[in-house]
Amino acid sequence: MNEAPAQLLLQSCASFLRINIKKVVIMVGTTQHSRRQFLRSVSVVAGVELLQIAAPAIAVAATAARKSGSAFQVLDEDDAADFAAIAARIIPTTDTPGATEAGVIHFIDQAFAGAMQGSRAFAVAEIAEANQKLDGRFADLDAMAQDELLHGIEDGEFFGLLRVMTIFGFFAMSKYGGNKDMVAWKLIGFDGHHGPWQYPFGYYDAEVHGGDYNGE
Amino acid sequence: MANKKTYPLDHAVDFVIVGSGSAGGILAKELSTAGFDVVVLEQGPYRRASDFKHDELSVVFRDELQGGGVANSGQTFRDDEAKVAIKPRRQPARYAQNVGGASVHFTANFWRFREIDFKERSALGAISGTNFADWPITYDELEPYYTKVDWEIGVSGAPGPNDAPRSKPFPMPPMPVKSSGVLMERGAKKLGLTTQPEPLAILSKPHNGRPACISCGYCMFFGCEVNAKSSTLAAMIPLAEASGHCEIRPDSAVFKIETDKRGRAREVLYLDKDGKERAQKTRAVVLAANGAETPRLLLMSASAQHPDGLANSSGFVGRNLMFNAHSAAQGVFPEPLNDYKGVQVTRIIHDFYESDEKRGFYGGGGLDARPLWSATPILHALEGMPPDVPSWGAAFKDEMAHNFTRQMCIVGSTTSLAMDRNNITLDPSSVDKWGRPAIRVTYRDHPDDLKMAGFLQDQAMNIFDAAGATKTWRYPLQPTNGGEHLLGTCRMGDDPASSVIDRDHRSHDVPNLFICDGSSFVTSGRGQPTMTIMALAFRAADRIKAAAAANNI
Ligand SMILES: Cc1cc2nc3c(=O)[nH]c(=O)nc-3n(C[C@H](O)[C@H](O)[C@H](O)COP(=O)(O)OP(=O)(O)OC[C@H]3O[C@@H](n4cnc5c(N)ncnc54)[C@H](O)[C@@H]3O)c2cc1C
Repeated sequence: MNEAPAQLLLQSCASFLRINIKKVVIMVGTTQHSRRQFLRSVSVVAGVELLQIAAPAIAVAATAARKSGSAFQVLDEDDAADFAAIAARIIPTTDTPGATEAGVIHFIDQAFAGAMQGSRAFAVAEIAEANQKLDGRFADLDAMAQDELLHGIEDGEFFGLLRVMTIFGFFAMSKYGGNKDMVAWKLIGFDGHHGPWQYPFGYYDAEVHGGDYNGE
Repeated sequence: MANKKTYPLDHAVDFVIVGSGSAGGILAKELSTAGFDVVVLEQGPYRRASDFKHDELSVVFRDELQGGGVANSGQTFRDDEAKVAIKPRRQPARYAQNVGGASVHFTANFWRFREIDFKERSALGAISGTNFADWPITYDELEPYYTKVDWEIGVSGAPGPNDAPRSKPFPMPPMPVKSSGVLMERGAKKLGLTTQPEPLAILSKPHNGRPACISCGYCMFFGCEVNAKSSTLAAMIPLAEASGHCEIRPDSAVFKIETDKRGRAREVLYLDKDGKERAQKTRAVVLAANGAETPRLLLMSASAQHPDGLANSSGFVGRNLMFNAHSAAQGVFPEPLNDYKGVQVTRIIHDFYESDEKRGFYGGGGLDARPLWSATPILHALEGMPPDVPSWGAAFKDEMAHNFTRQMCIVGSTTSLAMDRNNITLDPSSVDKWGRPAIRVTYRDHPDDLKMAGFLQDQAMNIFDAAGATKTWRYPLQPTNGGEHLLGTCRMGDDPASSVIDRDHRSHDVPNLFICDGSSFVTSGRGQPTMTIMALAFRAADRIKAAAAANNI
């Protein structure tokens, strides 16, 4: 597949990017936040205003037969590569591990096979449409081109879904497929083995209780 | 647990209790240990401490303890009675469905009311457009029962300077202060504000055969795997079952209270685990299903004799829903707090508890220091991030990683005014997984409650500045679209025309129907209602026992 340079990409994936070209230019390389995130209300406190993805009442076990040789339960290899690439832009690999090292794609696959199976057809159709406009596959773009494309769709439902799934997959317990070797928890300083904990917990209560807290 | 009591359906027991939560669990223990035969019908499963897991995805995002959320409950929401309610993604009326009810997964912040909470209408006068009223009981009448809760349920804490008087000290000291508490105290001191230790329904020391908290950090939304959280599941249900007079019947979804020709409750209809209709005969009913479910069941129990629903001659069933308004402000500090460890809250400020006309609006509330979203990773990533950071990419990742251990929140909890327009009704088209008409929540905060929440948010920002936060933020306050404090929908009162139950929790209309749970509230208090729900339950049990002794049920 062709490695489309950013300019080419902008021309070829006409419709949905055209509307957003201006925005893409503004967003790239800045720290501007999406308007939606800012407007999101945190007025509910005990109440979690979450981007909750509707899950079917009962998580039906994955019934789709594993394709022989496939590492995935329900995703085909190409779709998996694209979703993995999107996840890798949402939580990129830097000098620390990101979505790739955490194996987020295995969470996504497992979720699309089970609790979030209702969203799979939508996600697959969306990535197919994007790829059609690309005349290639998202996974084959370079990171800058991928970011530009994603900035163009970041307020849409598809990106919202992938963002939430990436975060779920990164941080949820490893049994759900991602967070391999607890890399996500180590990244943020969340000790994965869940207590019990002894005081002091942190720098400031150590001033009161004495003793050493164990850093992050 | 060797020989658990069971009762046949067609043999009338003394009491059927509907719901086994904060109130229901206490009523079950009190009535059964007094020798009455009690059947508790609970629609949720019977989970044990060993069933509670540190699984954020399942518990917080798939509503594992809350019955699976809207997909199963069918609950709908609207902010105005003129609108058609829709099914939102997140459940509007939130509570755990299991033995122990929402006391199982609550955060366990545990404030007593003060004297003023019971008579604020007299002190301040009417507020137009609201049903602001005094309670028919006083703090003094409830005080012995608050103390009973302290000792029997298990509450850790230390008195604050302006707390209402208590007849006995706390049974155990407060949980040790966390970094969030230290920092709030530091800021508060500079501003001349007073912090005090948070009372918690969490054991700081072994008590009544239960162990002390191990500081795992999974309190909010989660069940406690060591029984240190003082849920009724941990503290009351075992005593009820040990009495030999109580059958806890889980997976039993009540859909109707049936009355006889004299208008007395005589049997309770429910669907069992297999969806089969059952009818439990009883001499009296105690409804303790919470402020959303209790009115639903009464409205569903309409009959030719009670066309507007059972116990609803006043029209007050379902009205006056109060959630307690909330606000949040976030702060990041230079060094790690690691506030994800331990209980959520260790310090509070109650300097703004009383209404103050200088503020220009009604209301009062409290501030508390806690990790809030930064207690668990997914919540931190989805809800705990500052507005000046992109929502994905390297900067997002870096901020998330840097802040998680250094971030805390100051939460403001306030009053909610009782109003006709905020209510629980039966949704005309949506049903739950059992086929019962779904709960329809209609709610829009009173402007004064939002102003008070905003006022507390302002104070929180000032405290962060004074405490030396390197970064602070808040999101604009908006009217809520749901709540977990479900209050006021079958209010207590002396006048049958403007209340559903009398001061002894007996329904004005049906002599052998008692109602005790969050729905009994007349006013909302300042934000942590469950201590008062539990005190009311102990008191109600005494009143019911007295009535039974006088052959007056
Ligand atoms: C996440 C969360 C955190 C919270 N944190 C705090 C806090 O820190 N401090 C505080 O004071 N409060 C807190 N609360 C609120 C607190 O949990 C409730 O106020 C309290 O538990 C309500 O008690 P209740 O007896 O009215 O009802 P519940 O505890 O809700 O119990 C009602 C029970 O009845 C059952 N039931 C309902 N309808 C039926 C039916 N038709 N048939 C059979 N069974 C039925 C339910 O399944 C449930 O088990 C929190 C709530 C949530 C959700």
